[in-house]
Amino acid sequence: MDELDLLKKDWNKKPENKKLTAQDIYPMLQKKSSSIVKTLFYISIAELVFWTLINIIPYFTSPAYRTQLDNVYTNKFVLVLINVISYAIIGLFIYLLFKAYKSISVTDNAKKLMESILKTRKIVSYYVIYNLSIAFISMVVGLYFGIKHNPEISAKLEHSSNYEIFVIYGFLTIFTVVFVLLLWLFYKLIYGLLLRRLNKNYKELKKLEV
Amino acid sequence: MSKTLEHSFVELLEKHQNIVHKVCRLYTNNYDAHNDLFQEITIQLWKAYPKFRGDSKFSTWMYRVGLNTAITLYRKSKRTINTQDFDGVSFKIKAEDYDNTEEEQLKVLYKAIHQLNDIEKALVFLYLEDKNYREISETLGISEVNARVKMNRIKTKLRTILNP
Repeated sequence: MDELDLLKKDWNKKPENKKLTAQDIYPMLQKKSSSIVKTLFYISIAELVFWTLINIIPYFTSPAYRTQLDNVYTNKFVLVLINVISYAIIGLFIYLLFKAYKSISVTDNAKKLMESILKTRKIVSYYVIYNLSIAFISMVVGLYFGIKHNPEISAKLEHSSNYEIFVIYGFLTIFTVVFVLLLWLFYKLIYGLLLRRLNKNYKELKKLEV
Repeated sequence: MSKTLEHSFVELLEKHQNIVHKVCRLYTNNYDAHNDLFQEITIQLWKAYPKFRGDSKFSTWMYRVGLNTAITLYRKSKRTINTQDFDGVSFKIKAEDYDNTEEEQLKVLYKAIHQLNDIEKALVFLYLEDKNYREISETLGISEVNARVKMNRIKTKLRTILNP
């Protein structure tokens, strides 16, 4: 006899010993879900807000930074254009994220459900990559213009030896790389822990198709 | 959501709760975790219920939501960690029903199934629930052929565990 048939006989015969009544079920409907989709949702909202604030706050809180930016972008049109584009990109990400969340349905088949969740997570990570790139570019551009427009630093650099300039740039590069690496590790940790089981099961399902 | 909707949902869940209990039994190994998963599946079923159109049977729909929650959405809660393992307690087989060998075999089988991975458990679960390969493949999102191949592999695996 097939082992599983033996099990099937027992499985369907076994009465459930913890029968719940309607009175037990009603309070359950009021409880909050602790699913990974909900956690993912909160994390992505937090990220959206965090990165938007990181980009906006310095402009409003530091008059020096604002003056510096205004000096760099002497052309007002360029500044407005950059602002419009960056807000449009944030809007686009919010829209894509919202659409992706809407597409997560617990009544889809297991594989499709996993794919929708992974797709949502990807949109969030694209947003983070976009912001990191912008931060990186701003840092480089800021440094370049900062040095170029600041007579004190320019004068100092002119008197520095090649070796000193090399050390300064080397230090800045290492600092940036370490910063980005730490951030990347942090993300790996958050999403790695949250989606570890999902990733494992998704791989297992994919393996069946080979 | 309206009271009538809530009422009809609770009535249906009460009637078919065994399906959810079986999913929990397969995917958890202690009392607290069982209740925790039951709670999460109930929430997911309730959230999806307004979209349930009744063109599929409520029980069929429950299999999908229940398994999806167990495999994908459920996040093990912290309070389920240091609790007593009920492996072997809940699956106690009534001795008078079987001869010794069958009883032993079943014990080992239940233990073996608990060692399978999440996807394999889902396949075994649907198989035990008498679902055909078309339904299994639709629930998991794999092809019918692959579901059959995988099921055969699981059977061989279980046979090896049972008859080393």
